Order: sequence, then structure tokens, then C-alpha cells
Amino acid sequence: MLATLGARTVEDVSNAGRFGRFIWRSIAISIHSCASSQTYPLIWTQMNIIGVRSVPVVMITGAFVGMTLAVQAYDQLAGMGLEEHLGVLINISVVKELGPVLAAVMLAGRVGGALTAELGTMNVTEQIDAIRSMGTDPIRHLVAPRVLACLLLTPFLIIYADLLGVLGGALVSFVQLDINSQAYWSYSSYGVELWDLSIGVVKGFFFGGAIALISCYKGFNCKEGAHGVGQACTEAFVASFISILALDFALAVVFKSIYLTFWPLKSIVA
Amino acid sequence: MNEAEPYNVSNKIKPTVDSSNSAILTIKNLTKRFGSNLVLDSVSLAIKKSKTTVVIGPSGCGKTVLIKHFIVLLRPTSGEVFFNDRRIDNLSEDELSTIRTHYGFLFQEGALFDSLSVAENIMFPIRQHFMKTNWREVDEVVKAKLAMVGLDGFQNYYPANLSGGQRKRVALARAIALNPEVILYDEPTTGLDPIRADIINEIILKLQRELGVTTVVVTHDMKSAYKVADRIIMLHHGKIVADGDADYIRSHPHPIVQQFIEGKVSEDDLAVLRLSGALAKAQFLPSDFEG
Repeated sequence: MLATLGARTVEDVSNAGRFGRFIWRSIAISIHSCASSQTYPLIWTQMNIIGVRSVPVVMITGAFVGMTLAVQAYDQLAGMGLEEHLGVLINISVVKELGPVLAAVMLAGRVGGALTAELGTMNVTEQIDAIRSMGTDPIRHLVAPRVLACLLLTPFLIIYADLLGVLGGALVSFVQLDINSQAYWSYSSYGVELWDLSIGVVKGFFFGGAIALISCYKGFNCKEGAHGVGQACTEAFVASFISILALDFALAVVFKSIYLTFWPLKSIVA
Repeated sequence: MNEAEPYNVSNKIKPTVDSSNSAILTIKNLTKRFGSNLVLDSVSLAIKKSKTTVVIGPSGCGKTVLIKHFIVLLRPTSGEVFFNDRRIDNLSEDELSTIRTHYGFLFQEGALFDSLSVAENIMFPIRQHFMKTNWREVDEVVKAKLAMVGLDGFQNYYPANLSGGQRKRVALARAIALNPEVILYDEPTTGLDPIRADIINEIILKLQRELGVTTVVVTHDMKSAYKVADRIIMLHHGKIVADGDADYIRSHPHPIVQQFIEGKVSEDDLAVLRLSGALAKAQFLPSDFEG
């Protein structure tokens, strides 16, 4: 039993080391690729696949988040006579937390799954080895464009999700819940700051990086056969999902510390 | 290779071939393990320039693992790999990128990029290594490479539209795109009918004859091995058990070599099958079968 535990530990540590090295090389090469015009066409292609084609699903996700929040929160606020504050609750939840996180989860499923499946299939059909055999670095050719596209476009996709979340929440509030629109927007503008919006967008940068790196790593290291590719896709989604939640928590702590450092009095007054 | 160097057909089409018989690829005491599985056991081997060496052996004996070490697609557990007397198994991936441009590798299933056309597949290595390129000239190179494998006119096809044999020939055209000094073939005739397999054999011979490249072929197709080989090496359980020309291998006294080249199952294997009941069960219909 001890031998099994030891072997498992050694394997886990070596996997962690491999993942660390993969991340390090991917980031270094991605930065280098920014200065190489040769990789721009590859980045554009990935931006189209990853970014442009994700816009509809991300917008739908955002819209339903906002609409659901309106329906769920109305009763609690109305009971206290605060229904006109519904906009603050919806909008701050959407732009700061639910919009970025749920949009990122949607991207982990749509983009992450596709990246892992594509690279995993390339791996098991020896296409990645073929790239290496021709003297080309597969991280430069396959990973860097995908990482850069995810890094650059996830924040924009989150803005789309936020926008539709805000509009969806407002639509339900005005049409179904009959809340005064002027008061709704007035309280919203008072309660939601540019800082809150920025937090969500900056989170998108980290979420996008995590999704791309984890998905590419799983694709590069997937086992043989259709089962191996399927398993890699599942693992990539689960790992991306957990990373999104963990990063969300870590970034929440960091941003709160920054906020309290620069605007201490404002937080006390609020 | 210099990225700024333009692709020049005239100075690349015929690689410099050393007429001497010195080794271009050498491995010393190569051992490879995957976990507890020992695949190659202290193998030492030197591949001579401009010759065709065929590595034979039963499935799972380590042939593909061996050929991937020649180009360091796999790193040895222990031992050394040399290309032109330079040790390469300890180089970084960046350093290996340059070395690998001297090789062409034909993968077992071709490993063509599905999303690229035939022409784009062949252009791929050229685009990666030559930034300032006369693209009209590159088109000519693609045409010439495809003509060498008998597929000129297939430039705009996609891999999905090609047969297995055509895919291998396109993959071979891609493998020779950079005019390599060494071409490595991993099971080039596997999965092809005898006629298509013989076409591949003829192309291997043609490339060796016309380009003077060093050729290493991994196969378990003895007809192919006898046809293309200057030298045949047999691997068994991760070790070299026979090494010589075709006549030497044909008359080799080792029973494992004879069993393999004649394609006969041994009495020991049959005994194991009988004990496990596999043969007995296979000969009888299910008990509830009523016709």
C-alpha cells in the first residue's frame, strides 16, 4: 500500500512538473509570438474560432443570468420595500461575479472542449509529432495562437455577457415586475462603479488564459484512441471549471485588498 | 536553418551525399522504458550514409520507438543518439528544430494535417523555415515533390478525399519537402493492398536512388524489406537479434528470425492458445445456436 501511495505521489508530482513546464514554455513562447508577424494569421484564425463564434452563446448565457436574477431577487427586495434597488443587485452581481464566471464556464465547455478534442486528435494521429519532426515547435504553432486568442478575447466576451445580463435583468424588471425604470437606473448608477466592471473584465483575462492552457495541455497529453480523447475533454472541462472558481476566489481577495488600500474611507461609508 | 534565407530549389534539390560509408546516425546503449515496461534494452546501432536500413520485428518489439529516437521524438531513458557525430538526445527542443530539418519522417498513418490541402501540407515545412520565399518557386517545388510520388495534380485535394495509399504518398512528398539527408519510414506499407504497397516500395527505392538519401524503414512486411533493404536488422524483445543483408537474414540460424520471416506461429504460442481455450472456443458454435 505504501509503495502504491509512493508511486502515485511520484506520478502526481511529475505530472505537476510537466504541467508547470508546459505553462512556462507556453507563456514564454506566446509573449515571443506577439512580436512575430508569422504567427499573426494563426492568431486571427483562432480569434475567429474562439472569439467570434462564441459571441452568441456567451450573450445568451449573460441574458439568462440577468433575467433569472431579477425574478429570484424581486420577492426579497419587495418584502422590504426596496424593489427599486433591484437594478443594483442584478447589475453588480452580473458584472462582478456571475457574468464573468458563467461566461467563462460556457467558454470552458465550448472552446476548451473543442481545443482539447482538436489537439488530442492531432496527438493520437501523430500530427503533433509530425510538426516536431519538421523542425517546428508545436507549442509555437498550436498553443501560442490559441492562448493569445483566449487571453485577448475572453475579456471582450465577458463584456458581451455583462451587457446582455444587464439588459436581460432590466427587461424582466420593467416588463414583468413593473419597476420604475428611472429609479432602477438611478440606483444602479449609484451602486455599480467602473471598478466593479473592471474586476469582471480583468477576471476574463485570467479565466481565458486558464481555459486555453489547461485545454491545450490536456490535448497534448491525451491517451490513445477515442476513449483517450473523450477522457481528456472531460478532464479539461473539470480542471478548467475548478480553476475558474479558484481564480475567482483568489482574484476576489486580491481586488478587495486593492480596493480597501486605495479607497478605505469609501468602503466604510458604503 | 536561417529563417531569412530564401528557399532555393537549385541548391536544395540535391543534398550533398558523402560517398563514404561513415555512419550518419548512431545510437549507443539505448534503453527506453515506459514505466516498468522495458521497450529497448541497451541497443547500439550505426546507420550508414546513403544506404537503406530496414528494421524488422514483431508488433510491439520497439521498432517505432527505435525510429523515433533517431529524430529524438522520444528521449532515451539511458544511452546516446548521434547525428553526424553530434550528440542530439540531450539537446533542447529549440536546438533540435534545426537538426530535424535534415530529416524527413513518414508516419504510419501519414499524419497529414486534415485542415490543410495537399499543397498546403507540403508547403508547411517550407513556410516554417523560410520567411522570404518566392511563392511561385515554392509552387514549383510542391509540383515537383508530388510528381516524385506520382501525385502531381492533387494539389487542391484534402486528406479526407484521398485513399490510404495516396495519403502516404502525400505524406512522403511532405517529408522530402526540405530535401532531407535522412528519411525515416514508419511502417510505410501497413494497411495497403499488395499493389499499393509495392508502389510505396518503388518510391522508396526511387528517392534513395535519385536523392541519395539515407533511408531507415521500420516494417514487418518481409516482401518490402527484401525489396528495399541494403541491410536488415531484426529486433526482438527490445534487443537486436540479427543484423545483415537480405541473404544473411534469409539463412539466419536463429529460430525466432526464421519464424518471423516465414510468418509462422510457434508451437509454444499454439500451446498457450490451446491452454487458454481460445482455439477450442473459436471452433465451436454457441451452445444455443440452432442453425
